[in-house]
Amino acid sequence: MRKYETIFISNSDLQEKKQKELFEKAQNVITQQGGVVINFDEWGNKKLAYEIKKKSHGFYVCMAYGGDGKVVDELERIFRLDDNIMKFMTILKKEIVDLDEELAKSANKTKTETKEEAEPKTKEEAKTEIETQAETE
Amino acid sequence: MAYQNKKFFNRRKICRFCVDDDLNMDYKEPKALKQFITERGKIIPRRITGTCAKHQRELSTTIKRARHIALLPFVGKF
Repeated sequence: MRKYETIFISNSDLQEKKQKELFEKAQNVITQQGGVVINFDEWGNKKLAYEIKKKSHGFYVCMAYGGDGKVVDELERIFRLDDNIMKFMTILKKEIVDLDEELAKSANKTKTETKEEAEPKTKEEAKTEIETQAETE
Repeated sequence: MAYQNKKFFNRRKICRFCVDDDLNMDYKEPKALKQFITERGKIIPRRITGTCAKHQRELSTTIKRARHIALLPFVGKF
């Protein structure tokens, strides 16, 4: 199983209800084709660097999932048919993926987001440790 | 000796991606990538930024990805 990452820009003028339907549809396609959604990240409304279909804003969504090429083909086919999706891009992240590990990671991420302040401190500590080691040498 | 008399001197350029481990390339972070493009949106050559060949290759693909998904402009401000 491979790990893919698809990022797409949907119409920002869409009603909330329709937007939810659209996102659910995208996730359903992945699961139907035998893929597993690892992470579904909504970035929200963002300004585009250039106009797409005469619109300057778009709703960004980034999702990571495990699956085969079939999943990507089907997902992109559906994206192409949908008028509310302005642009999309799929990237291969890993050739071989350990699903349990990835799912645990994404679960951890949401937890650690609140603890983000704690992480850089440990890095600094690690750096100082290395420095002290160098000094002793 | 002739070299010393030259008006400019070659400052040794170092690849920032090799030196700084925290600086990682990601098309999802256009702010970091903006350092490596001009105001017009062109990719700055590595003879100016000093990025090593390996990282410049990687950098160009990440910038192109960011452009594709409208996080960076193809053509910048005029």
